[in-house]
Amino acid sequence: MQNDIVVKARGIKKKYSDNNALNGLDLDLHQGQILGLIGPNGAGKSTFLHAVLGLLKSEGSLEVMGLEPFKNRHQLLKKVCSITDVAVLPKWMTVEQMLEYVEGVHPEFDPEKARSILSKTNIKNTSKIRTLSRGMIVQLHLAIIMAIDAELLVLDEPTLGLDLVYRKEFYSRLIEDYFDGNKTILISTHQVEEIEGVLTDVVFLDKGQAVMNESIDSLNQRFLELRPNADNNEKAKSLNPINIRTELGRAVFLYENIDIEKLSSLGEVRPPFIADLFVAIMNRSDQSGEQS
Amino acid sequence: MKVLFTLVKRELQEHKVGLIYAPFIVAMILSLVIVLVYFGVTDIKTNDFNFSTSIYENGEAVEWMRAATVEQKMTVIRSGLVVLGFPVAFVMIFAVLSYSLGTFFEERKDKSIIFWRSLPISDLETVLSKVFVVVFVAPLIILPALIFLHMVALLSASIFFAVSDIVPFTWIWNAYSITDWFRIIFSLWMQLLWSLPILAWLMLAGAYSRKPIVAAVLPLVGIIAIERVVLGSGVFFATAIERMQPWSLMSSFPKQYEELRVVEIADIPLLLATQEFWYGMLISVLLISAIVYIRSRSEYSSVE
Repeated sequence: MQNDIVVKARGIKKKYSDNNALNGLDLDLHQGQILGLIGPNGAGKSTFLHAVLGLLKSEGSLEVMGLEPFKNRHQLLKKVCSITDVAVLPKWMTVEQMLEYVEGVHPEFDPEKARSILSKTNIKNTSKIRTLSRGMIVQLHLAIIMAIDAELLVLDEPTLGLDLVYRKEFYSRLIEDYFDGNKTILISTHQVEEIEGVLTDVVFLDKGQAVMNESIDSLNQRFLELRPNADNNEKAKSLNPINIRTELGRAVFLYENIDIEKLSSLGEVRPPFIADLFVAIMNRSDQSGEQS
Repeated sequence: MKVLFTLVKRELQEHKVGLIYAPFIVAMILSLVIVLVYFGVTDIKTNDFNFSTSIYENGEAVEWMRAATVEQKMTVIRSGLVVLGFPVAFVMIFAVLSYSLGTFFEERKDKSIIFWRSLPISDLETVLSKVFVVVFVAPLIILPALIFLHMVALLSASIFFAVSDIVPFTWIWNAYSITDWFRIIFSLWMQLLWSLPILAWLMLAGAYSRKPIVAAVLPLVGIIAIERVVLGSGVFFATAIERMQPWSLMSSFPKQYEELRVVEIADIPLLLATQEFWYGMLISVLLISAIVYIRSRSEYSSVE
């Protein structure tokens, strides 16, 4: 497993004036993983992705496919693709000019594949990018990315500002047309619920550190959520839940490392949604921070 | 080469109005004026103002041309054609100055720098491609406009001189050497290399500042003022002005020729032998290195 490591981060730090954007982050990303970076605003998600792309210099040890990204950005970007902001495609270009440009500078870009993907959309090759809607610009960007035979794809809030239809389409195309099991994807987003079914692994970030780093399979085994029957709330409480929330007037209990047999007699049991788990972990993290 | 070609093509697509269209528009306007001048299509005459485009109806000028030696006639025509090309070259220089100030500013303003930097092109390659465009490509682009303009001028002059019985129709075409076009371009290349410190300075201002015009002008004014107050001299100001002038006017350049003439390739070694040229190159390299450094650490800088 160690030989297929794509990103290896140890003690990554980045400081902006008085703010520690990254505060000793450790992270491993292996080939074939789709890892979601999840965290509140200011947790350091974008900063870390920019460091991975060699767009900023950080402290600590960071290797992307065996290369130090900031020093080898040029070389690295032949193997790494990114969508870091949907609004960054140059507006003065036409779609065809854009395809010709990427073909001229990227050795792994297949323009015919991009044209084929675009032919299934409403985007015309003669259109100027400034005339495209935000959703169409994302489609164009994704078509370019999908036509590049890259080993690592970095997505930083790729669907920010898009409506629900485009967001759904973005992720379905990403998985159906791009992800083939050999590629690796590192993705950050606020809209956790939309990528939940896509991820193989998650890292919860808070204050520049990883507060949780696990595979989805492991999370589903480690955490369980119980919606107890009406008269079982007290029994549920006695089993030391790590979080209790209310959903449509009904208590929902979250447990860590508990035998499913203990819960199944008390009500409905299922693995938690990542968004709910994230909130619970963050609350626990805040509480432990306050106590210390 | 493929990458350089792609980068240059991209620049020309983005700046086609200034670098491609504008010199052509000026050449078209001048061509129209030439036709009007030679054939006297329009005259403007009022009580206070009298502008006649039919200047060759001036008997004195026509008689002078009739009496002139072949060599004199050739000199007049060649000089006239070179002067005719000046407005086209001026538009190109203006476009180059505007491009230099804006190119690194605009990509930060519209955030497209994030996309450009997501592709496997180093900052050094990007910066050098832009320098290549302002120094070598921009002058080359005006060549078709110049050729068109000179063709219109030569054809008009040929017809007029033949009709006026000054010289035969075919003779005038021998007055202008095809190599003159390339001499003009070569001279512009050397001019832009001579002025490169100014261009690189403008690029640097655009690369780091939110207000590039202020960032370009203010430090220069400050240095000039400090030198004037502290040292009582004006060397920096004189040097800056010299860089904006034709290189053949620099104080240390050998003054071999006084008359207006087509630039000779033979002058280039004289320019390369001056210390000033190489000081300029050194300063340019330092400024360009600073641009590469700033761009490589732009960390999603924005000028919003």
